[in-house]
Amino acid sequence: MRFALRFTRSGPGLIGAVILALLALAALAAPLLFPGDPLKIAGPALTAPFTDPAFPFGTDRLGRDVLAGVFHGARASLAVGLAAAFAALAIGLVVGTLAGFAGGFIDEALMRVADAFQIVPGFLLALAFVSTLGASMPTVILAIALSAWAEPARLARAEVLSIRERDYVAAARIIGMHPLEIAFREILPNALPPVLAFAAITVAGAILTEAALSFLGLGDPNVVTWGAMIAEGRNVLRAAPFLSIIPGLALVSAVLGVYLVSEGVSDALRPREGRAA
Amino acid sequence: MTVLTLSRRGLLKGAALGLLASTAPIAVMAAAAKGGRLVVAADSEPKNLNPAIVASNGVFYIASKVIEPLAEASYDGKDGLEPRLAVSWEGAQDGRSVTFKLREGVTWHDGKPFTSADVAFSALEVWKKLQNIGRSVFANLETVETPDAATAIFRFSKPTPFQLIRNALPVATSVIPRHLYEGTDIATNPANTRLVGTGPFKFTEYKPGEYYRLTRNEAYWNKQAPLLDEIVYRVLPDRAGAGAALEAEEIQLAAFSAVPLADLARISKVAGIKVISRGYEALTYQLIVEINHRRKELADLKVRQAIAHAIDRKFVVDTIFLGYAAASTGPVPRNAPEFYTADVPTYDFDVAKANALLDEAGYKAGADGKRFSLKLLPAPYFNETRQFGAYLRQALAAIGIDAELVNNDSAAHQKAVYTDHAFDLAVAPPVFRGDPAISTTILVQSGLPAGVGFSNQGGYVSSTLDSIIAKAAETIDTDARTALYKDFQKQVVADLPLINVAEWGFITVARDTVENVPSNPRWAVSNWADTALKG
Repeated sequence: MRFALRFTRSGPGLIGAVILALLALAALAAPLLFPGDPLKIAGPALTAPFTDPAFPFGTDRLGRDVLAGVFHGARASLAVGLAAAFAALAIGLVVGTLAGFAGGFIDEALMRVADAFQIVPGFLLALAFVSTLGASMPTVILAIALSAWAEPARLARAEVLSIRERDYVAAARIIGMHPLEIAFREILPNALPPVLAFAAITVAGAILTEAALSFLGLGDPNVVTWGAMIAEGRNVLRAAPFLSIIPGLALVSAVLGVYLVSEGVSDALRPREGRAA
Repeated sequence: MTVLTLSRRGLLKGAALGLLASTAPIAVMAAAAKGGRLVVAADSEPKNLNPAIVASNGVFYIASKVIEPLAEASYDGKDGLEPRLAVSWEGAQDGRSVTFKLREGVTWHDGKPFTSADVAFSALEVWKKLQNIGRSVFANLETVETPDAATAIFRFSKPTPFQLIRNALPVATSVIPRHLYEGTDIATNPANTRLVGTGPFKFTEYKPGEYYRLTRNEAYWNKQAPLLDEIVYRVLPDRAGAGAALEAEEIQLAAFSAVPLADLARISKVAGIKVISRGYEALTYQLIVEINHRRKELADLKVRQAIAHAIDRKFVVDTIFLGYAAASTGPVPRNAPEFYTADVPTYDFDVAKANALLDEAGYKAGADGKRFSLKLLPAPYFNETRQFGAYLRQALAAIGIDAELVNNDSAAHQKAVYTDHAFDLAVAPPVFRGDPAISTTILVQSGLPAGVGFSNQGGYVSSTLDSIIAKAAETIDTDARTALYKDFQKQVVADLPLINVAEWGFITVARDTVENVPSNPRWAVSNWADTALKG
């Protein structure tokens, strides 16, 4: 496949893919390597990293295994990041396609709603949503999705506006296809690529938003997340900085991985002539 | 000079003025223990600073230097008290009156004389009607007679134990000036934020978000006091910031464990800084598990006993409180020797026994090892209450109870627990305030309306305990009353309307230059008249 070949030739993309693959592996292996609740108290509190072979990354204030937290945290971060981005893109695509295809009043109404969501800073919106509905994984995902769907909606609408005038759409109309069928079977698939290119940014943003919400104590307290680990470590920042640094590094690598992959994808998608020979 | 190390511009301005206007530099140069500015950390900015209305530690921390109570707690005084605005107090045999002799020659900060009329006004119009604690302590107060300017006789409609009034003196009797409050809406009076009192320091300046500044009261009734020229409370809401500010000498003292417990071992080794754990003996906080008895499982005594056996109090004290706490035996802390009894049932940490009790109660573990699920709401006020919540979830998991943690902010937590009763277990840090009748019996008493904070909202009803509480409330004889409260402790621990886990005081971290810390068991919320700075 040409795309895959080009992608692997892009340096950043390859590095990003390796990072993400490792994180995904960590997330998948977490329940096998660290069975049971990663929040359980496993050993003496505040063991320094690399001193006890049983706890290579040390333990936190209550004696919970930091390494287990990092592995299980990868699950939460990646799951929330992917689920929130998927939800945001799904909402965005449906709204954007409907608005672009229907035009007129429906377009106006849907775009004003998108405006309303866009003028409120996304993080504030998520914060308000979670603090009202209570902190649990589904509300966090929904909150992030709500704060991130407007951009893909606008992108999809712009794309649809140009596609709906094409000949094959006119042909579909003439053979009597239902308008909704035209919108979602003929137009949407063709409007997809630019929106998908946007997906990586959404995923990275969602991972960061989830970490920030957890950091502020608005994550689900029953699930290990990197943001919550950083927040817990903050209380002992001077005495045990590793408690914040280790999950912080994990968070940085996840976001970096997603960005590098998106870089690689856009490199690979760029027309050949645009690239240096 | 500490003044030079202050970083905030506003403070420097204030400092320059203060130095010009006072004799501070001379006093400091002479290396006398008198004079100087003490800069301390404040972690909150209460909206209403009037301690006669809001008798809480956050308010007292600032206001107790300006507005004084009738008596203060003391390490060696009779009945654990030392005089402030009252010089003596005596209860009548029938429990219907208490006579206070007041200090003479005291003036308010605005120059007006302090008299028994101020005490009568504060008692009848403020403590009894508006104050969170006074509303119950002074509920039966009928009149306050003032035969002369230095005598106030409190008369009660029903016999009221003198022991209770005495124990409530430090916390519930802050006297405010009648001439500023009479005929106004007391709750919204501007003097609630610009305090006028009789204390060793005058309220001088407040910059929201930055600092409070109190200055020396030259006309204080104790001519030897105060020793400081100024106290500045720097608002440092970030708890991680207090330790760094102390090391940088931007502040000289941080009370109420503003420096996190986990940082104490490190900071105690820093030259010039001392860690002080005394001075909070009369402000004991208790870590308790509140139980919603409306849940059928939790209404079963065996289940409550199992939970009590599942908690490793040693772990809580050593790991969560890093040793700066003690395991509780019951609803009265050891720091209240007048009432405390160790003669109560005990619940050792014993997971096997807890599991056996749950089996006996008929809650067998399912295929997944779980017996039943609960909602657990840790109070968000302290790191330690949240950490104990996380620990309790694990301790319950070990006996097959699946506890789901629910984190809320303060307002949402109070509403969920005390108004909506939307909890199964909650973690709370009530304060023992010198007498069980002040804020402890309310935690188990039945028949309270929904919405009363820090009270029994778990639906627990025990006629035995209710009758002990009612009887003690009208028992005048000190020994008989004390005996009733010992019985109260036994009954609470036996029937477990709540589970007492640990009790703790706070930690003060100060520069070595701060002297006479602590000088009484309510030090952080007392008047600091004898606090000094080494030159």
